[in-house]
Amino acid sequence: MEQHRVAITGLGLVSPYGGDLPDFFARLSAGESAIRHLLTDDLPRPLSIPFILCPGFDPDATLGKPLASMMDRFAQLGMAAAFAAWDDAGLPRQADGESRDTWGVTWGTALGGTLAYEKGYRELWQKGRERLSPLAVVLGMNNAANAHISIQLGLGGISMSHTVACASSAIAIGEAFRRVRSGEATIMVTGGSDVPQAYGVARAWEALRVLAPGDPETSPAACRPFAADRRGLVLGEGGAALVLENWEHAVARGATIHGEIVGYGTSSDHTHLVRPEVAGQVRALEMTLADAGLTPAGIDYVNAHGTATAEGDPVEVAALKRVFGGLAAAMPVSATKSMHGHLLGAAGAIEAIATVLALRDQVVPPTANLAGNVDPACAGVDHVTAVRRQSLRAALSSSFAFGGSNAVLAFRAVQS
Amino acid sequence: MDSIELIREFLRDRLGVAAERVVPDAPLEELGVDSLMMLELMFEFEDRFGITLDKNMQTPKTVSEMVAAMERLRAGTP
Repeated sequence: MEQHRVAITGLGLVSPYGGDLPDFFARLSAGESAIRHLLTDDLPRPLSIPFILCPGFDPDATLGKPLASMMDRFAQLGMAAAFAAWDDAGLPRQADGESRDTWGVTWGTALGGTLAYEKGYRELWQKGRERLSPLAVVLGMNNAANAHISIQLGLGGISMSHTVACASSAIAIGEAFRRVRSGEATIMVTGGSDVPQAYGVARAWEALRVLAPGDPETSPAACRPFAADRRGLVLGEGGAALVLENWEHAVARGATIHGEIVGYGTSSDHTHLVRPEVAGQVRALEMTLADAGLTPAGIDYVNAHGTATAEGDPVEVAALKRVFGGLAAAMPVSATKSMHGHLLGAAGAIEAIATVLALRDQVVPPTANLAGNVDPACAGVDHVTAVRRQSLRAALSSSFAFGGSNAVLAFRAVQS
Repeated sequence: MDSIELIREFLRDRLGVAAERVVPDAPLEELGVDSLMMLELMFEFEDRFGITLDKNMQTPKTVSEMVAAMERLRAGTP
């Protein structure tokens, strides 16, 4: 079967720093944390946790009131990111003659419109109301983001959501990649968005004892992947999108190509709901390399899943050591979650963007809060603790989800 | 609050429609009220006025038809 090369022609996000895409990568490279302390007014007890709220994100201003009012915040973040990626790709929002019947969207979200349902529960159980707005149905559904993206951009091909916990958007991107590579789709919008500040969601994560503590002063450094004193992950809201495009199509229209996506592998640990397993991660990593036609020696950077949980980080490093063998000690690895937090269904997408920009700009963003502090249990790879400028040919981005679902994406730099 | 004021407020809050466009002859569809938004609009009226719209009610097409339907209900004469 003929396979097509797949170009990445659009990148867009609602930045955790509040700025644009160049600003996002500049701050990430500088090791600057976007994590802040979140204090809500929730009943019966406010949330008080380190968190990422996208500062200054104004859905009405970004999307227009009529569109924004038909969406839950997860869809607003997704739509805004998709518009940004689409504009970045230099594609008109209105179809301009060329059929978009094979163009589609695959979108990752772990939680979907949870906030819409939660609002409904508050109305019913806290405010004693008996009725709910009919819009709650279309605001809450998990496929709301991809549906809006298809409608707004006139995409007539597949439109589907992927719910795979922390691997949701990595899997969405991988599935989009396969469709463009096979020739089924010419262009795919892909990525993910989530809003874990839903009260019931955040409280449940807290109870699982995997959230890092923090106050207004300590929150920016609360997430410390691979560090000896790591205390857990930091949740955040966000939306991140990529435009994947048939290579010849991109070249023919003179598009700017940020990078190439070359491989995708996904596996299940099939052992435990929350305890990650080296063997399962190794399978996903090796499948990805094989899919990309790359060897371990061809990889110059790994953007790790690295959530900063006690159990997860050492398992991930062990898997990398298994796959890279004698090359592991010199393999640059960083976990950008230390700065942009864990965006659940948007995590794989924001990290894919970080990886593509690393390859494009030949800059490895660091793991923040790690210098001189590596946990011996996480040693054995080349932890990047300060920005590094070096030649990068290809890189991997890993997402290892609760439920044991693993997804790894491989990207290659475009030779200029 | 009278009925047209409530429609104006709703359309401004939800759709950003300027109040001066909400005149009796204006078709609701042109103001951005599609079938989904119509359901939400009717829900809002029921909520605000404590009334229940007849399930068989003809869907109003213009602002004035909407106002008339609301006035009938508020007066208790369906």
